[in-house]
Amino acid sequence: MKHTNGPSIDRLTRRLTECPADFFREPVIAGRGIVHVPAVVNDLIVDLGGAPPRGTDALAFKRSSADSRNLLQTVMVAAWLLGDEFFVEEKRFATPAFNWLNNELAAVSKLVSAELFVSDPDRREELARMCLKALRLLPEGETKEHAEDRLGALDSVARDKLAKETAKEEERARKLREAMAAKEAAESAAKAGREW
Amino acid sequence: MVDESIIPGRAIPQQRLERNPLITADGYRLLRKILDNPNAPKWNYEVGDRVTVDDLPFIRDYRRLLFGERPVFSVSPPASIIEWVAKMRAKSRAFRDRLPEGIDIAREWAGISPMTREDVALRPQDILPVDADISRLIVYDTSGSTGHAMVVPQHPRSMGCHLAMMEFVLSRYGVFPKFGADSVACVDIGARVKTVVFANVFSVWNQAGFVKINLSPREWTSIENARRFISEMAPAFFTGDPVGYARMIKWGIEAKPLAMVSCAMKLGTALKDELEKRYRCPVIDTYSTTETGPLAYSAPDGFGMSVLPNDVYVEALDESGFPVAQGEMGELTITGGRNPYLPLLRYRTGDYGRIVPPPMGSADTAPRIVDFEGRGVVSFRAMDGTVVGQADVGLALRKHVFAQSQFVQLADGSLEIAIRPIPGVPTDTDGIEESVLSLFGDGQKIKVVEDDSLEGKKIAPFRCELDETR
Repeated sequence: MKHTNGPSIDRLTRRLTECPADFFREPVIAGRGIVHVPAVVNDLIVDLGGAPPRGTDALAFKRSSADSRNLLQTVMVAAWLLGDEFFVEEKRFATPAFNWLNNELAAVSKLVSAELFVSDPDRREELARMCLKALRLLPEGETKEHAEDRLGALDSVARDKLAKETAKEEERARKLREAMAAKEAAESAAKAGREW
Repeated sequence: MVDESIIPGRAIPQQRLERNPLITADGYRLLRKILDNPNAPKWNYEVGDRVTVDDLPFIRDYRRLLFGERPVFSVSPPASIIEWVAKMRAKSRAFRDRLPEGIDIAREWAGISPMTREDVALRPQDILPVDADISRLIVYDTSGSTGHAMVVPQHPRSMGCHLAMMEFVLSRYGVFPKFGADSVACVDIGARVKTVVFANVFSVWNQAGFVKINLSPREWTSIENARRFISEMAPAFFTGDPVGYARMIKWGIEAKPLAMVSCAMKLGTALKDELEKRYRCPVIDTYSTTETGPLAYSAPDGFGMSVLPNDVYVEALDESGFPVAQGEMGELTITGGRNPYLPLLRYRTGDYGRIVPPPMGSADTAPRIVDFEGRGVVSFRAMDGTVVGQADVGLALRKHVFAQSQFVQLADGSLEIAIRPIPGVPTDTDGIEESVLSLFGDGQKIKVVEDDSLEGKKIAPFRCELDETR
């Protein structure tokens, strides 16, 4: 019977602290850089028991915009995490692992620098827990409720969403819109020339 | 429009004091003298500088640093900019959204997602720093080079800093005007179908006068009046756009300015030469946008434009968002500034150029922008044959609410206006049509369509396909 329990959080966070510096070399974007992230993901998926990504999946980590850098580096750190022997030996995590890398890391990579997933204890734990959740595994020795609570407390994306939705932010936005609309109808100040 | 009738001995009206909190009796006398000049244009706007006594130390310090600490060429942002960006991360959501927690700003600079005009146009509240006091907010609107209708928040203090920048530019050409309440510092020249026309005094310039005029026949009793008025104003220097300057020549305006500063659009060599010949003074091209303020001025040695402010970092980016190789052509992108309501992080201007070091021995160490490709000027033709400028069209469109537009005059003279609406805000197509018809005349064929596909497209917001030989 396959595991329903995964490895311990300690094991995964320890692995993250050991992430090799090579994983932080410049990812290839628009023909520049050193690390070909699609090739790394391709090898990982095969190691996890899957077939190499084909079609659009094969292009998922090929990027042409400079601001994809942190996403690609986050994917590299996550790929290092997924290379843990536990996942590789099971040979059944290729599909959820690919989906996690492809669909879920973009949001968190906008909020957290990839390096923090290695250097910061909370962010290491967050990535480890995100990974287990994506693979439908429970951390060793934890109940489902405890695992969910703990991830909820660490969740960068949820925290950011909450901050954006707070009444204070909304109120501020409303005040600015009102002030700008009112001032638009009124006069501004003299300028020495157009656009000066 | 002007409600301040002249009564000898009368105190400065309260409304004027609100507009010009630091105006003196001498300054007000000068202002009245300008407004009541018998040859004056039809004033249609009232405006002050809104500078208060609390603003003065800031402007003074800015001026001192501007003259004293010039920027230097660098392929990466200076430490002062990195520090400023880190500080802004704590205050502005737009910065936080681009700077993940733990980012090494200097090292990962190239990966920082640039701001765009769309961010300024649609989400200014995300850029506004959390500690900004909006009680001093003023706004300017612009249609700009990408067709995004945009209202730009500003602070009177920042506008005062722009005057210091003007002084710096003039000084580089050996021009040091004496500003005082007995003279007009500057006349700003435009030639548009419709624009604001007003007089003002600048407290930052010791109560010197400023006049904005429009060389359109509708604004004057006669062209002769315009000639007389400008001659009587005898400004130390002119500002204006190339269209206004060309009209100035056409109308035979006589003047003896110390300098002429061109803004808003690229100044062609032929017009520059003609202006220099006719007015016997330096003609200085400048690069400025409403969102960033003044950015560069044509270097006196003729080699491109020198970056003007010392509180911005200018870089040139390729389409992917990477800085181009040194000296290559790229989109000019700005970080920094002094607008407390609009801190900019890698803001793509839509203008292009190559950034290079200044020539050896240059008096100004600031980087140069060469082969500048700014916004071109597109003209259209109204039903009666008169020329309608893109600024006029922009002004007419800005009365309406939408995210982006493209205005095209087809070869047969008809107009096609594509509008990308703001989600949830209906487009007032009838209103847009009416505004445009007021410029082009009744009988003008016109089609206004909604087009969501404009989003993210690099389009020319104004295009004229008219066959001028028809």
